[in-house]
Amino acid sequence: MAFEAEDRASAASKVASVGMASFDRDQSLVERAQQGDTEAFGELIEQHRNKARGLAERLTGDPHMADDVVQDALIRAFMHMGSLVDTSRFLPWFYRIVRNQANMRMRRGGPHRNERPFVSISSPETNGSRVDWEDLDSILYYLARTATDAAMREQDPAEHLLRKEIYETIHALLHCLSRKERDIFKAYFFRQLSPDEIAEMYRMTTGSIYTYIHRSRQKLRNEHIRVTLGLLPEKKGGSGLARHKLLDLRSWQAEPPVMSTFISSIGRMLASIGDQREAAELMGVSTFAFRMKLSDKTTFADGIYVFDWRATLQGLMREIGYEISVLCGQLADSPVPLLGAVERFPVVLRIEEAVLPFIRRHIDAGRPVLYFDTLVTRPYVHEWSVIYGYDDRVRVVHLTDPIRPEGKTLSYDDVINNPVRFLAGFGSKLEQTAGETARRPRETGTREQALRTIRFAIAYAKHGCEYRPRTSYLNYTSGLAAYDRWIDHLRSPHIAPNRYGMGQLSAVYAEAKRYAALYLRGVPLEGEAMRLAMLASVAYEQAADAMAELSRLVPFIRTSEVLPPDMREVCVEQLEKAKAFESAAVGYLEKSIAVKAGEEGSRQ
Amino acid sequence: MKELRFMTEFQHLQRLTDAKESFERANPGVRIVIEQSTDHFESNNAYQSDEAPDIIESGGWSLFNNKDMFVDLNPYVAEVDGLEEDLYQGPMRVARHNGMLPGLPVDVSIPLIVFNKEMFDRAGLAYPTEDWTWDDFIELGKKLTIRNEHGVASQFGFGIGVDIEWYEPFVFRNGGSYLSPNGSTARGYVDSPATIEAFRKVIDAYRVHGIIRKPDEPSAAGQLHEGFAMIFGFMWFTGDLIYHKIDDKFGVVGLPKMQGGDQSNMIYMGAAGVTSKSKNPRLAWEFLRHYIIERHSWPLPLTRSQAEDRGLTGHRLWSRYMEELDHVRPSGYYLSEKWNSSRQLINEDIHRMILEGADVSQTLRSWTRFA
Repeated sequence: MAFEAEDRASAASKVASVGMASFDRDQSLVERAQQGDTEAFGELIEQHRNKARGLAERLTGDPHMADDVVQDALIRAFMHMGSLVDTSRFLPWFYRIVRNQANMRMRRGGPHRNERPFVSISSPETNGSRVDWEDLDSILYYLARTATDAAMREQDPAEHLLRKEIYETIHALLHCLSRKERDIFKAYFFRQLSPDEIAEMYRMTTGSIYTYIHRSRQKLRNEHIRVTLGLLPEKKGGSGLARHKLLDLRSWQAEPPVMSTFISSIGRMLASIGDQREAAELMGVSTFAFRMKLSDKTTFADGIYVFDWRATLQGLMREIGYEISVLCGQLADSPVPLLGAVERFPVVLRIEEAVLPFIRRHIDAGRPVLYFDTLVTRPYVHEWSVIYGYDDRVRVVHLTDPIRPEGKTLSYDDVINNPVRFLAGFGSKLEQTAGETARRPRETGTREQALRTIRFAIAYAKHGCEYRPRTSYLNYTSGLAAYDRWIDHLRSPHIAPNRYGMGQLSAVYAEAKRYAALYLRGVPLEGEAMRLAMLASVAYEQAADAMAELSRLVPFIRTSEVLPPDMREVCVEQLEKAKAFESAAVGYLEKSIAVKAGEEGSRQ
Repeated sequence: MKELRFMTEFQHLQRLTDAKESFERANPGVRIVIEQSTDHFESNNAYQSDEAPDIIESGGWSLFNNKDMFVDLNPYVAEVDGLEEDLYQGPMRVARHNGMLPGLPVDVSIPLIVFNKEMFDRAGLAYPTEDWTWDDFIELGKKLTIRNEHGVASQFGFGIGVDIEWYEPFVFRNGGSYLSPNGSTARGYVDSPATIEAFRKVIDAYRVHGIIRKPDEPSAAGQLHEGFAMIFGFMWFTGDLIYHKIDDKFGVVGLPKMQGGDQSNMIYMGAAGVTSKSKNPRLAWEFLRHYIIERHSWPLPLTRSQAEDRGLTGHRLWSRYMEELDHVRPSGYYLSEKWNSSRQLINEDIHRMILEGADVSQTLRSWTRFA
C-alpha cells in the first residue's frame, strides 16, 4: 500500500510538473504574442482552439456558429493581447472573450437571422462564386467583376448597401497610398481601365503600371490586416499622441570599432547604461574572439553570422549579469539573408504595432535596443546595430551604423519591412542588478569565467561549433578545420572563391584573433598556467598578423567580382601560417588547463 | 561593346565560364561579366539597386515567384523552332506554375529509390520493381534492417533525412497534398485524411517498423552509401556514386505506389532568368539559351535532345531519372513563401512525432497555420 501511495504521489507530482511546464510555456507564449509574435499567438491558439470550440458549441448549440464565434474571439484576442496585464491569466481571459462573442451572436438570433452572410446576397450573375470577405484581393476582384453590371444591382437595396459599405472601406484604406498610386489604383479597379490605357494616360510604360498596381495591392493588403485587427494608426502630427525620444548614446572605448558588430553593439548598449566593459573582455567572455566559421560552398562571409542568435545573446547577457528580452521573426514574402541562423524564426506580419511598441517601451525606459540592420552602409550587407531613439512625428528611428560614426535614421517602414526581425532590449533585472550588485559576480567569478572561455576555445577549435543549421544544403566548417576548408576553396579547381567574402572574413577574423591574444593576457591565472596562457596569447597575436596580411591582400570592399586565380596561392600561404600559429595557441591552452586541473587535484 | 552582367548564387562556375568564353567568341561585340552573390537576399538587393544585373541565377525558386522581377521567357522559347517540344515538360510545368516563365530551370534534381544490390543479394531478396507498393517497401525494409543484441543497427532498410519536403512525394502519391493548388491555404489539404494517412505511414516507418534511423539514434551503419539498403536518392547522390565509381553496386527504381494511385514526385530546381531591368533582354536570353540549352552545363538537361546527345537516356541509372521528370509537380515550397519559410519549424514538429510520439493528425491540423 505504501508503494501504491508513493506511486500515486509520484504520478501526481509528475502531472503537476507537466502542468507547470505547460503553464510556463503558455505564459512565455503570451508574452511573445503581446510583442506581436504571430507565431507564438498561433501556437497558443492551437493548444486551446479545440476546448474553446467545445465551449462555443455548448453555448450556441450550433457547430457552424461555434466556428465563427471562435474565429471572432481569436481576432479580438489578438487585437487586445496588449491589454492583458496578468499574462498567467490568458486562458480564463480568452474563454471570457469566447463567451461574450457567443452571447453576442445568440442575441442576434442565431445564424443568418439578422446577419445574412454577404455571400448569400450574391445574385445569380456571380455564378455562385464565393467572395472571401476577409481577403482584400477577393474583394477587389469582386469589385472589378461587378462594376460592369452595377446599374442593375443598384435596384437591390441590400446589394446597394453592401456595395456602399465596401466602397467606403476601400476608400478608407486608400489613404495608405501615395497620390499617384491612388490615382492609378482607382483607374484600374473603379474605372476599369486596362494597364495599357492607364500607361498612355500617365505617359508611363505598361510594366511600371503593373508595378504600381502590385505595390498598391501589397500596401492595401497590409492596411487591411491592420484595420481588421483593430490596429489603427495613431493620428499623425499635433494630436499629442506622437512621441519622440533620443537617448544619449555614450561612446564605447573600443577604437577602432570592433568589427564583430554583435559584440560592439552590446558594448555600446552596456556603455550607454553606465557599464563600460573592455572590448577584449566582451570578445573573450562572449567567446567571439575564439570563433571562426566558413561556408562549405565557397568563401562567402555568411559563416560569421551563423550561430544561435537568441541562445548566444541570452547566454552572454546572463554571464555578465543581465536579462534580455528578444523579439524575433522573419517575413515570408521577402528574401531573407542568413537562412542558417534565421531558419527557425517564426513568420511574422509586416505591421508596425508588432515592432514599434517594443522600441518605444525600451527607449522610453532609457534603454537602447539591439537591432539587426539589413540596410547597413556598404561594404557591409547586414550588421547588428543599436537603436537609441525614435520620433513618431517624422516616423524614424535613430541607430548606429559601422560606417557612419555619427549614426543614421531609418524610417518606420524600413524597420517594419526588414526581412529579419531581431530586436533585443535589457530586461527587468537591469534595475535590480545595477551598480554594485551587478558588479559583484564579475569580481568573484572572473577566474571561473576565464576557465570556461578557455575550455570553450579549445573545444571549438578542435571540434567546431555545436550549432548546425537544419536546412540540409547549408553546411559550415568551424574551428581549426575552417582553415582547411578555406584553403580547399582556394585550391579547388571547381570552386570560385568569393572575393567580397574573403575580404570580410579575413578582416573580422584577424581582429578576433587579436582580441583573443589581448583577452588571454588579462586572464587571472597564476604561475605555470598563466605562463602557458601568455604563450597562447603570443601565438594568437601571430595568427592575427597572418590574417591581417591576408586582409591587406584582399581588402574588405564591396564587390561582386570573383577572386582572380593568381591571388589564390598567396592567400593560402597566409592561411597556412595562421593555422600553424593558432594550432600552437590551442596546444598551450590545453596545457594551461591541464596544469590548472593538476593544481586543483593536488590541493584536494 | 555590349556588356551582360550575370549574377549567380552558385560556387561551381566552370561550366558558366566555359559558356561565357564560347558565347563571347561567337559574339565578338559582347562581354559577359560573372558576379557572385551569397543568397537570394543579396541577389534581390542587387536587383533593387541602380546597377541591376541582366541575368540572375539562383539556387532556389523564391525570387522567381516575384512576377515583376523577371522577363517572361515564354515568347522567346516559342520563337525557337522545336524547342518547346524538346523541353521536358515536368520541370517546365513547375517553372510556369504562375503562368509566366521567369527563368530556365537549373540544378534540377528529383528523388528515386536507390537500392544496394549486394544487400538484397545477401538477404536473398529480389530487387524492387516499378510495380511495388508501400507495403512491399516496408516489408523489404524490415528484412533489410539488421540490429545487434543492443538494438543498434549495422544496416538500415531505408535512408532518408527528417524533412517535410522529402515526405511530400509520398503524400502526393497517397492522394494528398500540403497546400491548395494555388498555395493560398493549407486548411483542408495538410489536414486531409489522405495527407494524414500518408504521414502516419512515414512516421510508422521510423517508430513502428524501425527501418529508418531516428534523429541521433546510435548507429553502426556508416554513411548512406555504406549501411543503407534503400536510399531516398536525389540526382546528387547518384552523381556521387558514379563519380566515386561505386555505382555498379546500386540499382534505381521509382517510389513505391500508394493507395491514391498518383504517380507524382517532387522536384528541386533553381533557375536563371533575365531581369526586368536588363537593357538587353534579347541578348541576355540568347546567352541563357546558349548556356543552358545548347551547352552541357548542368547534370540533368532540360531537353530530350541534349539528354540523348549525352547518352543519359540510355544510361542504366540516369535514364530512370530522365523518365521521372515527366511526373513532377509543384511542391508546397513553390506555392507559398510562408510555408517555405516555416520549413524548420515544421521539421521541429516532425522530430517530436518521431521521437516523442506526438499525435500525427493533431500535429498536421496545427500546420494549417503555416500557409
